[in-house]
Amino acid sequence: MKKTGIKRGWKENAQIYGMLAPNLLLFLLLSVYPIIWTCRFMFYSYGGLGTGAPAFVGLDNFKRLFTNDPVFWISVKNTFVYAAGKIGLVIPLAFFSALMLNKKTLKGAGFLRATLFLPTIMSSAVMALVFYLLFNVYNGEVNKYIMRLGLTSLPINWLGQQHAMMTVIIIGIWGGLGNYMIYFLAGLQGIPEDTYESASLDGANWWQRVWYITLPMLGPVLKMILMLSIVIAFQDMSTVMVLTEGGPVNATMIMFLYAYQFFFPIAPGSMISTQFGYGAAVSVVAAGIVGIVTVIYLVLSRKLDDIY
Amino acid sequence: MQKIGTLFGKIISWAVVLVLIVFTVYPVIYALLGSLKTNAELTLGNSILPAVPQWQNYYTAFIKSNFLEYGKNSLIVSLATMALAVITTSLSGYILARFDFAGKKLMTVSYAAMMFVSIGAVALYPIMQMLDKIGMSKSMLSLVLVLTGGQITNVFLVQGFVKGVPKELDEAARIDGCSIFRTWWQIIMPLIRPILGVVALFTFRNTWNDYITTLVMTMSNKKLTTLTVAVVQLKYSVFAAAEWHIMLAGASLAIIPVLTLYFFTNKQFIAGLTAGAVKG
Repeated sequence: MKKTGIKRGWKENAQIYGMLAPNLLLFLLLSVYPIIWTCRFMFYSYGGLGTGAPAFVGLDNFKRLFTNDPVFWISVKNTFVYAAGKIGLVIPLAFFSALMLNKKTLKGAGFLRATLFLPTIMSSAVMALVFYLLFNVYNGEVNKYIMRLGLTSLPINWLGQQHAMMTVIIIGIWGGLGNYMIYFLAGLQGIPEDTYESASLDGANWWQRVWYITLPMLGPVLKMILMLSIVIAFQDMSTVMVLTEGGPVNATMIMFLYAYQFFFPIAPGSMISTQFGYGAAVSVVAAGIVGIVTVIYLVLSRKLDDIY
Repeated sequence: MQKIGTLFGKIISWAVVLVLIVFTVYPVIYALLGSLKTNAELTLGNSILPAVPQWQNYYTAFIKSNFLEYGKNSLIVSLATMALAVITTSLSGYILARFDFAGKKLMTVSYAAMMFVSIGAVALYPIMQMLDKIGMSKSMLSLVLVLTGGQITNVFLVQGFVKGVPKELDEAARIDGCSIFRTWWQIIMPLIRPILGVVALFTFRNTWNDYITTLVMTMSNKKLTTLTVAVVQLKYSVFAAAEWHIMLAGASLAIIPVLTLYFFTNKQFIAGLTAGAVKG
């Protein structure tokens, strides 16, 4: 609020900026500075300690990235597959769960909701370790159960090259279901009861009510949920890092994990040569790809708004 | 009210819900129960419950693997980050909600932009380099500061909440001679306790559970390792192939504190998630 006519004394200004300072400082140092650093060093060849000073190489890093780095593009593909798989499954499931558990009068609905929300509370890295055991080929419970039930005769190699991505998607769904369900629930609560009642009186069945009332009225909430799920899915890294380390043979290597390994080892002892300049370039391109996806999504969702 | 028409439809729907519940809960139960089994039971065995609870698994994890120390680190770091987050976000949130100042637009826009722009964990390298230069790369304080970060979402959360507090209260205090800072501390803070609770809860959980940032920040000083990082590192240790029971005991140690916290505060967690997120 502007205090028109009253000039603010220096003491007040000092307090205002002083109170903003702690948070603002952390923001500038920890969020903004790394971006500036990255945008600078992506034009350099920089190998870290013992390899000499960073050398300016112009667009060489990008040339290499776009013409000579198949693994990066595999990681881009993997990231999209992961995001599409996870979002495509978790959003409908979360919506369904929200619909089912929206009943305030149902005894225990609160308990069920709290239970489905549980994975959000857990550390994804620690749970990745647990899943690592669960999906183990010979001793993991998953294979033990499905073989005992006679569903297959040979154990499935969940973390092998063929199925690892699917397993990672499953774990991603596990972790995200409760989270998105809660958002949907909040959105559902914003839909007034009478809309449904009048629809029922007009003879609409359950499916029609969902399709013609619930979904359209959830519009803004759905948009936000999808936006959030896209951002999260593209940045999600800890599960893959712990579960498969990007393997086997890059089957689960995702963009940001690929960039990470040019700076730090993915697993203790698994260091490749540090290439900070190239890694910076990879990060920026990856962030750019996410940015493009975000913009495309926003444009599309605005178009959808017009239809409705 | 959403009613599913046919009985058949109802049964199928609730069956799906049941499957989702089991799917959700199973890994957690597996970890907790498995921590009390012998390694043979876990790898070869077929029972859900341990035959004889192997409490010594926890002893091995606690004492031999130093998890007591790491748990202490986790607690200190999580509490410190939580406190720092509450203070910095409430200071900024209050100022943003009540005052205009030079650069406010720029600040708000950059904060909002950073919610979507991310270069990932790579950002940790320049941060580590910067801390190294000022000789702070091995301190717990640095770990706490880095884990706190800009708290963008929470700043907006607090800002929104403060907007809901009647300005008249501030103004009355200011007319009475309260400085801006005192107004914040004595008038605003008590009134925004609900949202501060949300910030505290989420920050504590995020910090306790954090893996990548903490891993990188403690690379040069293993004494700072937190419980979560230590537990995940078990995967790469000698325990990996042969001692699942220790790994699960470690995992349980890492998740039990947050699980307990959740047991008592789940309503707040769930409510906090939508506190600022859903606008009609």
